[in-house]
Amino acid sequence: MPEQLWFTELLNHHFGAATTLLLGHLGIHPAYPNAPISNAVAMELLVIGVLLVFFALVRASLSVEKPGGLQHSVEAVQEFIAEQAHGVIGHGYERYLPYAITVGYFILLSNLLGLVPGFESPTASPTVPLGCAVVTFVYYHFHGIRTQRLRYVKQFTGPVLGLSWLMLPIELISHLARILSLTVRLYANMFAGDMVTMAFFSLVPILVPVAFLGLHLFVSLVQTFIFVMLTLVYLGMAVSEEH
Amino acid sequence: MTKKLAFLFLMMAILMIASPVYAQSGGAPASTNWGPIGIGIGMGLAAGLAGLGQGKVAASVAEALARNPGARPGIQLALFIGLAFIESLVLFTFVLLFIRTVK
Repeated sequence: MPEQLWFTELLNHHFGAATTLLLGHLGIHPAYPNAPISNAVAMELLVIGVLLVFFALVRASLSVEKPGGLQHSVEAVQEFIAEQAHGVIGHGYERYLPYAITVGYFILLSNLLGLVPGFESPTASPTVPLGCAVVTFVYYHFHGIRTQRLRYVKQFTGPVLGLSWLMLPIELISHLARILSLTVRLYANMFAGDMVTMAFFSLVPILVPVAFLGLHLFVSLVQTFIFVMLTLVYLGMAVSEEH
Repeated sequence: MTKKLAFLFLMMAILMIASPVYAQSGGAPASTNWGPIGIGIGMGLAAGLAGLGQGKVAASVAEALARNPGARPGIQLALFIGLAFIESLVLFTFVLLFIRTVK
């Protein structure tokens, strides 16, 4: 049995058998049939639940005449990302804001969850950032094809047709490397933050690790910002007319 | 002062005499474990060189902001994305070392 957090244990106690049964039907056999839900998945579900409740609260308290504090803070986040998106994508950026902001909230909450005792960051396990990166990859290619149709192929072959045999593999590899770099950047930052805190905790168990928790807080915010910005930059490159 | 220096030299002499003691291990060493040394060198190289690169980025950003404080948003965007790309190289090294050593 793997080590489980209390929330994972709760989920496994209630839904473990059903999950194993469901996965069995799909042809997947988890390593631990009694505990098929891993910590990362449990934390992810928790983040999704918290976000759903949060947005339901925000939606219920929206008001044009008397905007509350919650509405102001959410609007501030929206305006900040909209400003960045306008700078990167330019005209017609509004369409891509919902995805960027949603993925931003998800990653931010996932990163910050690691600071709460009794929980851990789902982004500190490689599968969760990989999921975000793959969704981003599919999303920007989808919009690239949607806006440019067949001209989208030109982004891969380059402007000169004679050199396309050289450009195509380079572009393909660089696009695939984006998945890797998005994944590893987020995962390794969160994971290394935990490791550094643990290492200093084992050296000096009092007061010193707090400084590294503060650093972890800062890194969480910066990595969220970078993930969202890179999503917007890749989108901007995909949907831009001339390349 | 002289007393302190004398103490220091005494300590050094003792450590020099004692150094063969550190080298002794039980029996002939079967095989040296180079792993931790390699990790130290690799991570140190990656972190140090990335530090140089990020230092250049930060210097350029400071200069650009001093010349034209009005261009802050664009400069900050370039700063964050540039730092992220440099930093991710160190993180690739870190992850590689980690998955190679911790099975």
